[in-house]
Amino acid sequence: MSPAGGKEPWRPPRGRHRLPPEVVARSQRDRLLEAMARVVTEKGYTAATISDLTREAGVSRTTFYELFEDKEACFLATYDNTVDVLVQRVLAAYEAEERWPDRARAGLTALLELLAEEPMLARLALIDVGAAGPAAQRRYRSAVQRLTPLFDEGRDFAPDGRSLPPNTSRMAIGGVTGLISDAVLEGNVDGLPGLLSDALFATLVPYIGPDAAAREVGEPTR
Amino acid sequence: MSPIAPPEGNSPAPNDLGGLIEKEQLPAGREALAEPLIAHSQRERILVAMAESCASKGYNATTIADICEPAGVSRATFYELFKDKEDCFHAAMEVSLADAMGRIIAVYSPDKPWATMVRDAAAAFLDLLASRPQFARMALVEAPASGERAFELYASGKRVLQSLLDRGRDDPVEEEAIPSSAGRAALAGAEALIVGQILAGNAERVRELLPDVVYITTVPYLGQQEALRQSRQAEKLLSAPGG
Repeated sequence: MSPAGGKEPWRPPRGRHRLPPEVVARSQRDRLLEAMARVVTEKGYTAATISDLTREAGVSRTTFYELFEDKEACFLATYDNTVDVLVQRVLAAYEAEERWPDRARAGLTALLELLAEEPMLARLALIDVGAAGPAAQRRYRSAVQRLTPLFDEGRDFAPDGRSLPPNTSRMAIGGVTGLISDAVLEGNVDGLPGLLSDALFATLVPYIGPDAAAREVGEPTR
Repeated sequence: MSPIAPPEGNSPAPNDLGGLIEKEQLPAGREALAEPLIAHSQRERILVAMAESCASKGYNATTIADICEPAGVSRATFYELFKDKEDCFHAAMEVSLADAMGRIIAVYSPDKPWATMVRDAAAAFLDLLASRPQFARMALVEAPASGERAFELYASGKRVLQSLLDRGRDDPVEEEAIPSSAGRAALAGAEALIVGQILAGNAERVRELLPDVVYITTVPYLGQQEALRQSRQAEKLLSAPGG
């Protein structure tokens, strides 16, 4: 269960039931994660209150504090969940292709389409994490680092891979996520798939240079 | 004791970068912190305390007491000088931007080759960040996430840097179409690297990132071979004595 699920989360039947306590707790936790994603999308992290979350999730305050230490802890759990969904989707698309530029195109296409389908994910993953304090910001950095191996493959593909500066992949990732954040901040989440050419160029150019990058952007091999 | 370089008062800056800074209504040269950073006035001490608190616990968690105590001022004094916490943060951001723009104007010249100018501006900017780690963190980590006014200042500073990069387009070496977002992506890439370093607690060492920053910002326009050459030159600059 994830904030990306889109459907109503499963809830245990009301009233007395014999579900083991850890199953009930699991679903209460999931509901709180989804509530966090919704509330943050609506009013932003700073304005979100524990009451918003418990009301939205249909759990008591006591339950909230049994599951999470505070609002930040709940946000971080929601965030990890969100990032897992994103990374899995990108990885699956990426690995389905062979040549690195095609893999990059497929991964970016999947990422942009998923974000456009789920504006909540986009806001949560890229924008509100900034407002949620240093721990969340560190979490964002490490989430983004999970994409580093995919970019590092560009070094093997690049004619000059070994002479590229040490932080090339971190900067390439920063460029792509920067373009996406700008679009989300401008409220253009629906239009994210249209960002593919720019995002692909930004991904490829540090590894293969502008000429080859522009050719790849212009002429996909399939 | 004098603030760094930029022209005094409201006289127009001597080049087109200055014009752009005016257009963005950035406070270039009007209120830069003294160098070295010794906060003499109560106002300066408050701004420094604000930056320090932002660096250690974040803007949102910062209280007026967190600012007043290290600054050695009373709450009453704080409210005589600033309307509220946000007002104070905004003032600290203005000072940071004034410093950054002053440094960049100081190395800017329309006669320099574009790549040299990018390198010099990047070096000046990284030097500033390294010398004021708390302000670096406030301006690049806290400001983008701390309300509309602060974000607007952060964004306008970024637009100036971006227009500097976009000028690389004037003399393209490569023939294929370079997307108009290339400069924005390059800047975002450099920023991500720098912010990562700041968050890792290594703000004092951001200057070491110069060869990376030079590479990512020039490669879309100059091509790989020339960008690598520029990057290696930047590396030499770093290891040069006094460099």
